[in-house]
Amino acid sequence: MLILKATSLGPLHGYGILLRIGQISKDRLEIQQGSLYPALYRLEHQGWISSEWGESENKRKAKYYRLTAAGKRRLQSETEKWNRMAEMIAGILQTTPEEV
Amino acid sequence: MRLIDRAHSWLRGILQRSKVQNEMETELQFHVEAHAEELTKGGVPRAEALRRARLEFGGMEGKKEECLEARGASFLDNLMQDLRYGVRTMLRAPGFTAMAVLALALGIGANTAIFSVVNAVLLRPLPYDQPERLVQVWHVPPQATFPGTAEFAVSPANFLDWRSQAHSFEGMSAYGGGRYTLTGNGNPETIRMIAVTDGLFSILHVRPLLGRGFVSGEDEPGHEHEVVLSYGIWRSHFAANPDIVGKNITLNAQAFTVIGVMGPEFDFPISSDPNSRTQMWKPLAWTAQERGIRDNHNYGVVARLKPGVSVKQAQNEMDAISNSLAQQYPNDNKGWGAIAVPLRDDLVGDVRPALLILLGAVVLVLLIACANVANLVLVKALTRRKEQAVRIALGATRRRLLQQALSETVLLAFVGGALGLVFAHYGVILIVKFLAQRLPRSSEITLDGWVLAFTAGISLIAGFAAGLLPAFRAAKADVNEALKQGLGRATSDSGGSRTRDMLVISEVALSLMLLIGAGLLIRSLWMLHKVNPGFQPDHVVTMEISVSNSKFSDPVQQVEYFDRVLERVRTLPGVQSAGLIDSLPLTDDGSIQPILVEGRPPAPMADLPEVDVRSISPGYLSAMHLPLLSGREIDDTDVAGRPGAVLISDSMAKLFWPNEDAIGKRLTLYFYPDQPRVVVGVVGDVKLYAVNETQRKATLYLPLAQLSVPKGEAFHSFGMNLAVRTNMAPLSMAATAGQAIHEVDPEIPVQNIRTMEDMISASLSPERFTMLLLGAFAGLALLLAVVGIYSVTSYSVSRRTNEMGIRVALGASRTDVLMLVFRHGMMLALIGSAIGIAGALLLSRVMRSQLFGVQPTDPATFVTGVCGLMVVVLAASYIPARRAMRVDPMVALRYE
Repeated sequence: MLILKATSLGPLHGYGILLRIGQISKDRLEIQQGSLYPALYRLEHQGWISSEWGESENKRKAKYYRLTAAGKRRLQSETEKWNRMAEMIAGILQTTPEEV
Repeated sequence: MRLIDRAHSWLRGILQRSKVQNEMETELQFHVEAHAEELTKGGVPRAEALRRARLEFGGMEGKKEECLEARGASFLDNLMQDLRYGVRTMLRAPGFTAMAVLALALGIGANTAIFSVVNAVLLRPLPYDQPERLVQVWHVPPQATFPGTAEFAVSPANFLDWRSQAHSFEGMSAYGGGRYTLTGNGNPETIRMIAVTDGLFSILHVRPLLGRGFVSGEDEPGHEHEVVLSYGIWRSHFAANPDIVGKNITLNAQAFTVIGVMGPEFDFPISSDPNSRTQMWKPLAWTAQERGIRDNHNYGVVARLKPGVSVKQAQNEMDAISNSLAQQYPNDNKGWGAIAVPLRDDLVGDVRPALLILLGAVVLVLLIACANVANLVLVKALTRRKEQAVRIALGATRRRLLQQALSETVLLAFVGGALGLVFAHYGVILIVKFLAQRLPRSSEITLDGWVLAFTAGISLIAGFAAGLLPAFRAAKADVNEALKQGLGRATSDSGGSRTRDMLVISEVALSLMLLIGAGLLIRSLWMLHKVNPGFQPDHVVTMEISVSNSKFSDPVQQVEYFDRVLERVRTLPGVQSAGLIDSLPLTDDGSIQPILVEGRPPAPMADLPEVDVRSISPGYLSAMHLPLLSGREIDDTDVAGRPGAVLISDSMAKLFWPNEDAIGKRLTLYFYPDQPRVVVGVVGDVKLYAVNETQRKATLYLPLAQLSVPKGEAFHSFGMNLAVRTNMAPLSMAATAGQAIHEVDPEIPVQNIRTMEDMISASLSPERFTMLLLGAFAGLALLLAVVGIYSVTSYSVSRRTNEMGIRVALGASRTDVLMLVFRHGMMLALIGSAIGIAGALLLSRVMRSQLFGVQPTDPATFVTGVCGLMVVVLAASYIPARRAMRVDPMVALRYE
């Protein structure tokens, strides 16, 4: 989901995704670098992101990933699910003894 | 995602493997370098930055593998890689490979051979259209007079009633065999002819190749001089003449018109081997009088069920019809039922148990082979522990290791399977050669597509079976432990050795089962050989003098002819005695007839006792050395016009006159009511149909010279078998005797020249063959088990060399060491035997029907089997044990 969110902000290469995740999570989340790629390949295989070769900022060949239409829908539904879940759990945690 | 895209990505993964890998390489490389650059910007030196970037990234190769897997393309990839690797390992260890492949090839080959027999005989549908709707319909005779006989031939009148009353069938046809003499083609020749009622070809849904089959009404008297030729005789005797239809041929000196030729596939009734196929079919034309015969049962009946009607429903209807017929004609039909049997069961029901036992046996052999290979692989895997550990350390997943280990054994199994096919090919040739005459449909046995698929299937299963245990053990390996141990000389390996011990125990148990099974068959064959057939088979040659049904028009001519034959044969040099009988012992033929005994109240035919009836000439008893127990033999005075004389068998005398002298007692044969007969002698009992028949057959011998016409029927002449006792080699006698018979009448063929000893051994050939096969499989199993025990023991000895050295150094005697190793082998053998005995008890229960004169729990066989196995197992562990005993403590200790 994090990868989907990261790519939803524009096409990125793998390292970029890692940086983007670090950036949007304000470095609170750290992903083991190597584990990113199997996840990318899996998402691509499932058709939620697509990839193309392009040039990086420093003129090097890099593979860019972008969110597909299916990926967008997926991100949306995942986000909704997550929000519902978070609300529910927050609700539960805020319950005080008097309310029971 | 659309399926097609996914497939595309998958295909790309397979086809453009190297491209995908290159891209991945570039991508990951880019990542690391980008990261390194970042670090360099932070002030880290470039080399250090690269190192750190790599470290942070984690295992590059492992991630690549994961990426590939994520695309779903890796399975086939890996498989190819594993197979290539497998081939290399196989080639690197030729000894191991040869052993494993050979074990699997023997197991798979035996399975393939037996399966191809089972497939052709039991599984493949009969070669007719919709064969599952074809049934054979038999009479079920009253059990009081025919104890143990479940099926009996059918009488014309009952058949006609069945056909007109039963609604379950699309059609029903009666048929009967006969011998016809074909002339006009050089030597007179006997033709295997089947006479059929008109519906046969339409019931079987077959069309002739040329001409037509019989049409309705062609089984009326007057139309019966028509024949349909088999493809075989059309080719061999009529030069495949395409204009044969409409031509006349001469059978039994009468003209028959050929109306059709059947295709090459057609055979009815289905014969066991190509040499006994029916050669011609003619209409079965009963006269009005014959159509009324209800009490004489001589015909087979085949029928086709209507679509949607089950055998059970047909059976219910036949039961109802039989009941009403029994009420309508109590005299002839009381107690006579009917049974509808699917045609295939009718044909192969007898051999099914033996085939299934053999199939079970080969499955056991294959199991042993698998256990053996598993063992070899386990031992080998131990020397490869380091390799496996390195693989795990480098990031190989357990699943991946499992897959690799399995693909190695599956590869072995497929190579074994290919070699097994070669074994099976020769095995099948042997089986067909030995069993052709006794195994129905044996000419259909081939290694066809189904068999090949079966072989591939069991190869795969065997590969998995052999690989699963070692594979799991390999995948479970403890990396640190293995790496620490250096080059795989572990001192403790208890888990692995337990697995191997279990495998050896199961090998011992399985081979003991087979050994005992084979032992029981050997015992019963031995018992069969000891059976006294009731005559002395040595120095007796027999031949069939094949007189056709219409050769002689009355009994007098037939009797005269055979008198001249006997007279002529007896003058030949070397002939000690010669006699004639209509049906030889140990053949399937023979008449069973109801008799009326004087002094007993008259009873309806259905209640009359039935005995086997044979026609003999004087000299038959002495030719066969059939003992005369009391009274006199039949001699030249017992001819037509003289009082009827009969000989009876000992069992018949005891059955009818238990406490009296049977000599002088009077009786009448039901079909010859006008001819009273007197018992003049009692002779010994003879095995009439098979060596293994357990019930003594009450038998009546009539003098051929008092031959007469059965009531209500026309006279049909028939052939006799000549039995000659000679002091020369029996078969050398045959040619001269045959010539002598031809001199009497050149038109009458002489055939089926056999010695009585051959007939006995032929009658035991199925038993012998089952025994030989099971014995061979048991031997194979034992061999595999021995190899298994040997390899396990010698392996454990070699691993414990330094332990032995220490023991010896500390003062253990050589015997102690020997016993140490021995005891282990012994223990495995004992546990295996205990399980094996339990298994053998189960197996022998299934085998009960195949045994003769020996109990399924025969203690002698069990004890011999266990002892034999123990000896062999001990021998197998003795060699490594001796090696252990000779261990030099210094060498052993230095070895580490």
